[in-house]
Amino acid sequence: MNESDHDKFDDELMARASALPQDIQPQRDLWSGIATAIAKPPAVAPWNRFMAQAAAVLVLVGGSSGLTYFAVTDDDRAAVDDVVQTPELIFRPVSGSFGSRYMLGPGYQDAHSVLASQLDLEMQRLSTEARQDVHTNLTIIRTAIADINRALADEPDNTLLQKLLLSSYQEELSVMKQVNGITSAVMFREDF
Amino acid sequence: METLTATAVPQFATGVATVTEQGVNDEQLWVKKAQAADSQAFEALYRLHVGKIYGLCLRMTGNASEAEDCTQEAFIQAWSKLDKFRGDSSFGTWMHKVAVNTVLGRMRKSRREQDRIRLVGEIEQQRESIGDSAGIQDLEQAINELPSGARHVFVLQAVYGYTHEETGDMLGIAAGTSKAQLHRAKRLLAQQLGN
Repeated sequence: MNESDHDKFDDELMARASALPQDIQPQRDLWSGIATAIAKPPAVAPWNRFMAQAAAVLVLVGGSSGLTYFAVTDDDRAAVDDVVQTPELIFRPVSGSFGSRYMLGPGYQDAHSVLASQLDLEMQRLSTEARQDVHTNLTIIRTAIADINRALADEPDNTLLQKLLLSSYQEELSVMKQVNGITSAVMFREDF
Repeated sequence: METLTATAVPQFATGVATVTEQGVNDEQLWVKKAQAADSQAFEALYRLHVGKIYGLCLRMTGNASEAEDCTQEAFIQAWSKLDKFRGDSSFGTWMHKVAVNTVLGRMRKSRREQDRIRLVGEIEQQRESIGDSAGIQDLEQAINELPSGARHVFVLQAVYGYTHEETGDMLGIAAGTSKAQLHRAKRLLAQQLGN
C-alpha cells in the first residue's frame, strides 16, 4: 500500500467511524441505581472521615497534654527525684509491623515499660481529680494510636498517618513523663 | 411544579452539539434545576444523554457490564459535581469529560484493562444493538481490538469528533501524543480490516 492508498484508506476509515451511531442505549434502565445513589446524603470518603477523626484526635491529644501538665504541676505533684533517662526512640523500617514499613525501636518498649511502672506509683500521689484527668487523657491518646494503626493497615505507605502515629506515641510518652516529672526525651524517624 | 418526563426530552440529530434550539433551552433549564438539587430535572438530563454516555463508555471499555457501571458512576459523579458546571461548554461535552474520567479512574483502580474479559455472547449481543451492517460490526470489533491508548483516542476523535487538544485534555495526554495514538490506531485498523 503506497502513501496515496494510506490516505484514501484513512479518509474512508474516519468517515466510517464518524458515521457510527453515537447513541447506544443500555440494555437495562440505569436510572433507578442512579436515583438511589443521589437520594442518599453525600457520602464522606473514608479518607476524609479519617482525616476529620485524626484532626479531632490531635486536638484532643494536644488538649489532654496541656490539661495533664496543669493537673500534675500543682501541689499534688511531689518532688520527683528519680528521673528516668529514656533512650532515643527510633522508627526503624521493618516489615511485618504496623503498616508493614516501620516499627518502633526496642528503646521505645523499654522506656514505655519503665514509665508505665513509675506512672502507677506517681498516680497514687495525685488527687483523685488529677488522677482522673491523666487516666482520661491517656485513654484518648491510646485510642488514637489504635485508630491510626487500623488506618495504616489499609494504607501502609501513608506517610501522614505514619507521622500521626509517631506524634501520638510521643504524646503518650510526654504525658507519662509529665506525670513522672520527666521532661526531656527525643523520638524521631530516621527517614524524615 | 413542572413535570419532567422522558417525553419532554428534545429530539437529537447526530452529534453532541446538535440539540435543537428548544432542546438547548430545556437543557439549560434542567441544568439550573438540577443544580438546585431537583432530581427530576437531573433525570431529564440523564434521559437526554444516557445513550451517548453509554456509547462512549462501551467503546472505551469494550465491556457492556463495565460500561453500564461506568455510565451510572458518571451520572452520580456529575450530580455531585453539578455546582462546578459553569456552562462554558455544553452539558453533553461536560458529561463526556466526566464519563472519560470515570472510565479512566475505574481502569486505573481495577486494572481491568490489563485482563479485559471478552464474553463472546456479550459482544454478539452488543453488535446487534450497534448495527446490522457487517461493515459496521467489523469496524466496531476492530476498534474493540485496539490497545487501550489507541482505542481511547480513536473513539474520541473519529467517532465523537473531538480535536487532538480536546482529546489530550480529556485523557490527560499531550496533543502530540494524541496524534501519534491516532496514527497508530489507523495503522492497526488497516491491518485488522485487511487493507
